[in-house]
Amino acid sequence: MARLELIDLSKRYGEHAAVAGVTLDVADGEFLVLLGPSGCGKTTTLRMIAGLVEPSDGRTQIGGTDVTYLPPWRRNTGMVFQSYALFPHMTVAENVAFGLEMRKLAKAEIEVRAREALRLVRLEAFAGRLPRQLSGGQQQRVALARALAIRPDVLLLDEPLSNLDAKLREEVRIEIRELQGQLGLTTIMVTHDQEEALTVADRLVVMAEGEIRQIGSQRDLYERPADRFVAGFVGRSTFLDGRVTGPGEFETAGGLQLKCRDGAPGAAALVLRPERLHLGGANMDNRVPGKVEFVSYLGPVLELHVRLSPADRVLVQLPNRGDAAPAVGDEIELTWHRDAGMVFAE
Amino acid sequence: MAIVVAHSSSATVARATRHFPIGRWVLNGVAGVGLGFILLPLLLVTWLAFFRQEIPSFPPAGHSLQWFGAVLNNKSFVGGFLLSFQVGVTATLIGLALAVPASLAIARRRFRGRGFIDTLLLLPLIVPGVVLGASIYVFQIETEIATGLPLLGTTMGLIAAHALIVIPWATRLVTASLAGFDPTIEEAAKNLGAPPWTTFRRVTLPAIRPGIVAAALFGFVTSFGNLEMSLFLVGAGRTTLPIAILQYLEWKIDPTVAAVSVMQIALIGTAMIITDRYVKIAQVV
Amino acid sequence: MIARQRTHLTAAGLVGPATLYVGIGILLPLAILFRYSLNQFVPGKFMVDALTVENYVKFFTDIYYYSVLTRTVRIALITTLICLVTGFPLAYVLARTRSRHKNLLIMLVVLPLFVGNAVRAAGWMVAFGNKGVINASLMGIGALSQPLEIMFTEAAVIVGITAVNLPFMVLTLQSVIEGIDRSVEEAAFNLGATPPQMARRILLPLAMPGVLAGTILTFILSMNAYATPVLLGGPRFQMMGPLVYNQFIQQNNWPFGGAIAFILMAATLLLTLAANLMVQQRYRTAET
Ligand SMILES: Nc1ncnc2c1ncn2[C@@H]1O[C@H](COP(=O)(O)OP(=O)(O)O)[C@@H](O)[C@H]1O
Ligand SMILES: [Mg+2]
Repeated sequence: MARLELIDLSKRYGEHAAVAGVTLDVADGEFLVLLGPSGCGKTTTLRMIAGLVEPSDGRTQIGGTDVTYLPPWRRNTGMVFQSYALFPHMTVAENVAFGLEMRKLAKAEIEVRAREALRLVRLEAFAGRLPRQLSGGQQQRVALARALAIRPDVLLLDEPLSNLDAKLREEVRIEIRELQGQLGLTTIMVTHDQEEALTVADRLVVMAEGEIRQIGSQRDLYERPADRFVAGFVGRSTFLDGRVTGPGEFETAGGLQLKCRDGAPGAAALVLRPERLHLGGANMDNRVPGKVEFVSYLGPVLELHVRLSPADRVLVQLPNRGDAAPAVGDEIELTWHRDAGMVFAE
Repeated sequence: MAIVVAHSSSATVARATRHFPIGRWVLNGVAGVGLGFILLPLLLVTWLAFFRQEIPSFPPAGHSLQWFGAVLNNKSFVGGFLLSFQVGVTATLIGLALAVPASLAIARRRFRGRGFIDTLLLLPLIVPGVVLGASIYVFQIETEIATGLPLLGTTMGLIAAHALIVIPWATRLVTASLAGFDPTIEEAAKNLGAPPWTTFRRVTLPAIRPGIVAAALFGFVTSFGNLEMSLFLVGAGRTTLPIAILQYLEWKIDPTVAAVSVMQIALIGTAMIITDRYVKIAQVV
Repeated sequence: MIARQRTHLTAAGLVGPATLYVGIGILLPLAILFRYSLNQFVPGKFMVDALTVENYVKFFTDIYYYSVLTRTVRIALITTLICLVTGFPLAYVLARTRSRHKNLLIMLVVLPLFVGNAVRAAGWMVAFGNKGVINASLMGIGALSQPLEIMFTEAAVIVGITAVNLPFMVLTLQSVIEGIDRSVEEAAFNLGATPPQMARRILLPLAMPGVLAGTILTFILSMNAYATPVLLGGPRFQMMGPLVYNQFIQQNNWPFGGAIAFILMAATLLLTLAANLMVQQRYRTAET
């Protein structure tokens, strides 16, 4: 358990920068989630922390010690691989004991700690099985137990839940979060699943194209996205192209004059969260007539696609209160507060 | 919660230096030695082919291309090459004609004895060359006695035996290429109205063509280079190229035999490079 | 039912010719050869029909022939071991390299296989002769005053056979190692294993099927080597392969030649089987 610092860490493959100058400070015991689209450098960042990839530039410090060029076997990081990477020729118990054997612990202690780790993930009963005799969820937990058994300074989880079905994912991510809290482990988890990120993280880091785009809490990312990419990546939004014409004034490509948050004058995109748009609410800054073009019934919410002008169509989410829902072809009036409209310069 | 971007903590030690990856270099070094060991004899024989003097003593007195001309004046090398080439091409064609249909059945059909036949067709590769040669030798003698037709020592007899050693390679490679071919594609073709033979010609055959090309190359090269089995089956004065080289080397080594070796290396290397354009050799061996 | 029968018929039609060809071309000859090995050889009268095991008895009671077998087995074991030890690192590097030249490297391993054993033996003859590369270099730098006798020694044969068989070992191991998930190795490093520890505890057990297949293949090839012992061992150096040929073609002793051929096959098979069992016992858990 330790503080982890990445200082201007980069990895280039030829011309291409997989990770470009990542600087990050993870507090002792913090659960940090790296979020970003596939190929943005999340795995590479994690592998540099584990020492499996040597950075082209920058430094890594664990517990205040520079480990940048330390080989992986001389760091104390516990990694859970996306494919689990269980040793197929060893039993569950042998898998979990492996890291302890490498640390040359006494046989009796290895046994105690391996059993302890298996108990944490509730797999004591499966100690004698081979990995291929386990379900995906069980394999995932063995991988976790194996990483926990060595009492790592930093726990690294690379999309640990991506191979599980939806229901199991929800269970396991809560389990992981609880275990991490109990043990007070400094943890970095990689995911491209927003919901997963939002449920477990103390803090989130959004990456794109090898760079950090924003660091913050769930609320920060959703309410105050740092740029157009984050706004599009975290949560659902409608993007309307146009121009900022004055302070808090936006004109869409379709000619609509809308009120919004402040932004630099010039070409920009107006970003609207679908649940911040209402049907005929009172005291709203924006009031725009439109025509319903598509309706999806999702249970708790209804989603409408509403055309506001020949060039502008927005997504609207309405709570399903059981009233008569708008139908395709209905003429409606959409309203929203100016603060709901975020603008990002092109 | 604030957006915190970390700063470097100034308390840490000076920047750690990049370690020299000794382990990786040792590993690469050992691997390089292994590869060198495999290639060394070919390099040495190539060098010898360009010596000026006839006696293979080092260092060479100079270099020359004359020995490549000498090869063409050597009857047993030229004759050996022609015989090997003729046998190789014919045996490969026969072997493919037998093995391709068999591979189609083995890869696609479920029938009784499939496992047995699969193994049987690999047998020519498993039975050691000298044993194969000796047994085919006595078989051809018995056949001659029974039928009165000359077989042993004839080109026909040699081709018949070589077709046998082409079959395992062809079966293996064509079966492998069929294994990677989704049968629903054939079903799609039939669904679109193609009769079976058209489906085979327009859909299946193009898909397994790389496998067939590889099978043809491996079959030809196996036949062309075969020594042990052929030793038993060639007639007096009519030898294949590998046997001509062997018999020459039993007597002496000089730049002439090195030159013919280089020509063989070049021929096979070229065949491999051409084949590699159709099917990546790294994926089929 | 009818449709099913038709499938069988076409399958038979497809697979029949090749099956018949190989069956008649190999099984029948082997049967005839075995029958020959039970005949008698009477000098002057050539082969006489009989039903006797005297050829087999002769092989195992005559110290000359028996020693050819033990020498062959010894050389096969040594060369196989060297192939395994030197082949593994090369196979590993080839399997794991991300180099653009990977295909080229593999072709360089395959090329010598295709070139034939006589040509490769010729290369070693260039190196081993009295005025060959090795002796000329050692004498050139003054390390030797008299040339070393390398040609026509067991050492020369071992080097030659090892080089001939190494590509088979490398290609077999390489394809198996490529099937091992790289992240499993990384997991071992992450858990604190040094590269040698990883190799011993993870890589080797997982590569065991390849080790076994490569070992069997190279062992069989070594046992049956022909051109290399003939050219690098010289006329007086006997191994089983040349012995079979000599009995058949030079001595015209078909019964004895046949018996030696079957002893060679049986010995190869038995030793292969024994190795297989030993390895399986040791790495029981590695079975997948
Ligand atoms: N060994 C490598 N060689 C070349 N490019 C690589 C290598 N590993 C990763 N990359 C590239 O680096 C980028 C980031 O990869 P990765 O870290 O795996 O992304 P993520 O985990 O976010 O999906 C990708 O564009 C990928 O193609
Ligand atoms: Mg990834």
